Amino acid sequence: MKLSFIGLVFRQVRSSLRHLCWSHMLTSLTMALTLFVFGAFMMLQANLEQLLMAWGDQIHLTAYLARALEATELEGLLKRVETLPEVERVRYTSQVQAWNDFQSALGAQSGLLEGLPHDVLPASIEITIKRGQRDSSTLEQVAQRLRGEKAIASVEYPQQWVERLGLTVLAIAWGKWIVGGVFFLATFFIVGSTVKLALYARRREVEIMQLVGASETLIQAPFVIEGMLQGMVGAALALAALWGGYALLREQIEGFAGALWSVGHVRFLDLEGAVFLVATGWILGAIGSLVSLRRIVKTWRSSEVAV
Amino acid sequence: MRIQLRHVSKTFPPRQRALADINLEISKGELVFICGASGAGKSTLLKLLFREIDPSEGEILIDGHDVTRLRSRGVTRLRRKMGLVFQEFRFLPALNVLDNVALAAQVLGASKKQSRVKAHQLLRELGLKDRYDAKPFMLSGGEQQRVAIARALINEPALLIADEPTGNIDDDLADDIMQLFVKIRDRGATVVIATHHRALIQRYGARVIKLERGFITDASSDNVSMPEYTW
Repeated sequence: MKLSFIGLVFRQVRSSLRHLCWSHMLTSLTMALTLFVFGAFMMLQANLEQLLMAWGDQIHLTAYLARALEATELEGLLKRVETLPEVERVRYTSQVQAWNDFQSALGAQSGLLEGLPHDVLPASIEITIKRGQRDSSTLEQVAQRLRGEKAIASVEYPQQWVERLGLTVLAIAWGKWIVGGVFFLATFFIVGSTVKLALYARRREVEIMQLVGASETLIQAPFVIEGMLQGMVGAALALAALWGGYALLREQIEGFAGALWSVGHVRFLDLEGAVFLVATGWILGAIGSLVSLRRIVKTWRSSEVAV
Repeated sequence: MRIQLRHVSKTFPPRQRALADINLEISKGELVFICGASGAGKSTLLKLLFREIDPSEGEILIDGHDVTRLRSRGVTRLRRKMGLVFQEFRFLPALNVLDNVALAAQVLGASKKQSRVKAHQLLRELGLKDRYDAKPFMLSGGEQQRVAIARALINEPALLIADEPTGNIDDDLADDIMQLFVKIRDRGATVVIATHHRALIQRYGARVIKLERGFITDASSDNVSMPEYTW
C-alpha cells in the first residue's frame, strides 16, 4: 500500500471515529459484554486449574521402612529415591517423629497412647511426585520401584483419589477447549453481527468508494482498523469490568469456596490471560469487520433494483 | 475508450424489462447523447457501462474487453479510467466539497496536497470557489451537480459517463459544463451523456441515441437534423 493511501486510510478512520462515535461505542460495548463472559470463563478455568494443582500437591506416596536403618543406609536409600525422574522431593519421618506427630494429631486424646512403646510406628518416606506426572499409572510405576527396595516394607498412596483427580483434570482440559471454543465462536458471531449492523449505516460510503475506483484493500482497511480498535477497547472494558467484579466478590467467593474445598486465594487473570483477552478482541474485531464487510458487499451487489 | 454493446438486455426482478436487445457502438473520442423519457432505460444503460449492474443478456465491450466478465479487481481498474456523474450525486456526507472531489484522486494514489490543488482548480473553474469547506448537504442542487462533475473530471478520465449532468443548472452554466465536456472529448476521451436537455443537444454537434421503453429507436441521428423528440 502506498504511503498516500496509508494517510487516506487513517484520515478515514479518524473521520469515522468522530462522526460515528456512538455507533463505534455501541459496537465496543457489545464486544466488551461478550469478551467479559469469555474472560469470566477464562478466570473460572484458571482458578479451577489452580484448585486441582493444590489438590495434586497433597498427593504423596508413603513408603514405610521395614526396620530402623543405619544413617549411611538411610542416606543411600533417600538418594536413590530422590534421583528417580518422577520424584519432586522426599521427606523422611523417623519413628520418633512419627510418634510425636501421631501424639499431637490426637491432641487431648493422646493419653490413649500411654503404655505403648515409642517405636511402635514405622519410619517412613513421604515422596512428592512432580506436577504433570501425578496420574495413577506414574504413581503405580514409582510404587513398584520402591517396593523393590529391601528396606521398604510397603508403599501406599490414595489410588482412588488419584484416579478421580486425573479424570477431573482431563474433563477440565477438554471443557476448556470445548466451552472456550463455543464462547469464542459465539463472540465471533455476535461481533460479526454488530459490525454488520454498523456497516449497513455506512453502505453509501462503501458504494461511493467502489464507484470512484478505490481498491478493495483501500475500502476494507479503515473498517478493519476500526474493528481492531473496537475490539481492543471492548477487551479493555471487559478487563476493567472483570477486575471490578473480582475486587467486589473476591472475599465472598473465597469464603464460600474455602469452606467447601479449602481453597486459598481466588486469582485474577494473569498477564498472559489479560494479553490473550485483548488479542482476542483485537483479532475478533479485525476478522469480524473483514468477514462482515465482504459478505454484505456481496449481498449489495446481488440486490439490484430497477433504475 | 471504444464501447460496444451486443444484444444487451436487462430485466430487473421479477419481470421488469429495462433494456431489450441493445446493439450500439461508440467510438473512442466520441461525444454521445442518450435521450429518452423517464423510465426509457438511460440510467440503466449507463450503469451497465461502469458495471454497477450486470446485464441479463449480451456483451458489453470496452476497448475490446467484456466488462461483464470482469472480477472485482478488473471492475476497479475499469472505473479508474472513468469519470462518473451520477443523477443522485453520491457524496460522502462527512467530507466537505473539496475533500469529496480530492478523494477521487487520492484513491488512485495522488497525494493529499496534489489532489487538493487539482480539486481547487476544478471547483474554481466550475464557479464553486467559495464553497470548498461546505458540506454537500449545504449546497443547492446545481452546486452539488457541479461538485459531482468536478469529481468526475479530476482524474482526466478516458471515458466520462454523466447522468443528467445539467439537470439542475441554468442554461448559461449548462453551456459552461458542456464546454468542459467538449474539452475532455477533444483531448481524446469518450463522453456519454444521458440528458433531457433538448436545447443542449441541439447546440452541440454530437450523435444522439434515443431510447424508448428499453429499445433504441434511433442511434445514428446527428443533432444538426435532430427530429422533434417527444420525451
